[in-house]
Amino acid sequence: MFVSKLKQALICLKAGRVTLAYPYKPTAPPEGFRGKLKVDIDKCIGCAGCANVCPSCAIEVTDLDEGWRRIQFHLTRCISCGRCEEVCPEKAVKLTDQFELSTNTKEDLTVAIEIYMDTCQRCARCFKPQHPLDKMMITGFRK
Amino acid sequence: MLTSKEIIETLKAKFDRQILKVQEPVSNQVFVRIVPDALIPVISFLNQTLSPRFLINAATDMVRDDGKYVVSYIFSFDSEKIFLCLQVALDAAEPNIDSITPIIAGANWSERETRDLVGINLRGHPDPRRLVLADDWPEKVYPLRKDFPYDYKPPSEPQNKVPLKKPPEGTKVIPIGPFYPVLEEPAYFKLFVDGETIVDCDYRGFYCHRGIEKIAESKLTYNQICFLAERICGICGFIHSTCYCEAVERAAGIEVPLRARYIRTIMLELERIHSHLLWLGIATHIIGFDTLLMQSWRIREPVMWLCEKISGNRKTYGMNLIGGVRRDIPSSIYDEIIQVIEKIERETKEVIDAVIGDTSLHARLKNVGILTEEVARNICTVGPTARGSGVRIDSRVDHPYAAYDRIDVQVAVEPGCDIWARTLVRLKETIESVKIVKQCLLEMPDGPIMGEVMEEIPAGREAICCVEAPRGEAVHYVQTGDDNRPYRWKVRAPSYPNLQSVPYLIKGQRIADVPIIIGSLDPCYSCTERMAVVDVKMGTERIYTKEEMLKR
Repeated sequence: MFVSKLKQALICLKAGRVTLAYPYKPTAPPEGFRGKLKVDIDKCIGCAGCANVCPSCAIEVTDLDEGWRRIQFHLTRCISCGRCEEVCPEKAVKLTDQFELSTNTKEDLTVAIEIYMDTCQRCARCFKPQHPLDKMMITGFRK
Repeated sequence: MLTSKEIIETLKAKFDRQILKVQEPVSNQVFVRIVPDALIPVISFLNQTLSPRFLINAATDMVRDDGKYVVSYIFSFDSEKIFLCLQVALDAAEPNIDSITPIIAGANWSERETRDLVGINLRGHPDPRRLVLADDWPEKVYPLRKDFPYDYKPPSEPQNKVPLKKPPEGTKVIPIGPFYPVLEEPAYFKLFVDGETIVDCDYRGFYCHRGIEKIAESKLTYNQICFLAERICGICGFIHSTCYCEAVERAAGIEVPLRARYIRTIMLELERIHSHLLWLGIATHIIGFDTLLMQSWRIREPVMWLCEKISGNRKTYGMNLIGGVRRDIPSSIYDEIIQVIEKIERETKEVIDAVIGDTSLHARLKNVGILTEEVARNICTVGPTARGSGVRIDSRVDHPYAAYDRIDVQVAVEPGCDIWARTLVRLKETIESVKIVKQCLLEMPDGPIMGEVMEEIPAGREAICCVEAPRGEAVHYVQTGDDNRPYRWKVRAPSYPNLQSVPYLIKGQRIADVPIIIGSLDPCYSCTERMAVVDVKMGTERIYTKEEMLKR
């Protein structure tokens, strides 16, 4: 009994101080950490592949009128799994190492992008024109 | 040793006319369709001769196909590495079946669950009260039937409150819960006490149903469910996602690359290490020995950091997909992994050395919460709870998954039957896990981490998978369906059978020992309860009703 208690005390003494000074001292997460996602609007072609695979249905795609497509990333639902990053053909979605997401306004946690898409002559669904120059030529782009 | 052919032949010799169909779609998984009347004779015969272990039963709504409800009773032949699934098809108009609980006590909850969720009427069930559904859920509304929309919210019918048992003559009632103070999770134990001694108890749980099976069957796709499965449990999430993925892969016949299987094994063992150290902390916290809580959690923390480095998150790794894993473990961090786990091994051994002779711990843990081997087998308990009672079962050996068929696992079994024995099993397993991770890193071959996955997984296939979680074995049964999602996905978490042994564990014990006895099972209510939307309203001799609470 007594020996056990001594051994236990020794374990405690050997450990020393292990707590971190966070949040007074910021800690950087390791490489490959899956944090808040970031979308590059210039790269996004509006294919909605990310919305298809998202396990928590955090990505909402709405086709507005005149060929505008809105993609909303609801970070309140996001589980940071990184599936969107994995399937994006243009590498437009990236997970950053940002993890301090608490906020007083819920709207801060929705990232919305609107991209102008051309309308298909056959099926009337939206698609992104091939080249940035083509994009500028389309009427309605400079809304 | 029995083979699956011999099992089929033994059954056929006795019940040739009652057997309608025999299939073995996946090797060592036998599906036998029998006539409903033969269920009790077949199960009693099996119990007397081959004595398989009951795992779970699952009811499936097949009314759209052939107007029947199919109930599957899944058994395991442990040393033979075989699953046997007895299936009966019941008419949709009269889904009545004889209860098997009088023969197998461990079937109690899962039978009531089929009644609650699919509407299978049980004949002769000893305790036919509502189990899973909320207290105000309407009668004759069955959420897991296919004609029930996943987002439908039925009107509240508060008169359906589950009656709890009346206290026996001369006893007083002590409630523990509904918010269970020790594990910070909701469960309600109503203890009937005579002085300090517990005479009997009643249990009401299932307060945190999240409708996981329903949403998987009606909304998500195969690869989305991996992440949902991971969220069944906060501690053993990777186990559930692996179990689900393996079940689908087996059903569809998808070959997983060897490297991916090794990576799964490593993550599973890291999860076991941190789960057991977490349990050690909580268990000692329950008995007021907070020094060990602090120290075991300190020892545990580097594993969490390691997992964060490997997977990008300290928990819910999000590594699994159907066909393999998403992230490779680069060879540059092998050394770091070995360093971290060797430090944990060293420190865990120091802790074991320090507590093994601690007589104050012996006084609290030895000869308390006795679960005899007979009861453990009868209730079909799993994991350290069973192994602490001398039952040698371990899915890693009995039903190898991931890369366990290539790994030498020593099963830790203790004959003590008390809390101390369960503690020793867990401590031994922590050390064993370190050994397994090291062996995996040594043997892991190079190669792809994602296998070839077919464009569409064919419908109508079935498979079972068991994965040994830190708390016991998790069982997933998957029946594939159309629209790129399973038709039926049944999950049984390890706490499900283990919690059923609580009445046996606490009978005759003192009130002060109840928290540690329940804690010794390492129960996880969120795993146990996955299925329906629940409104919390409970209590017996209560002060406020729900309506009053809402008004306030």
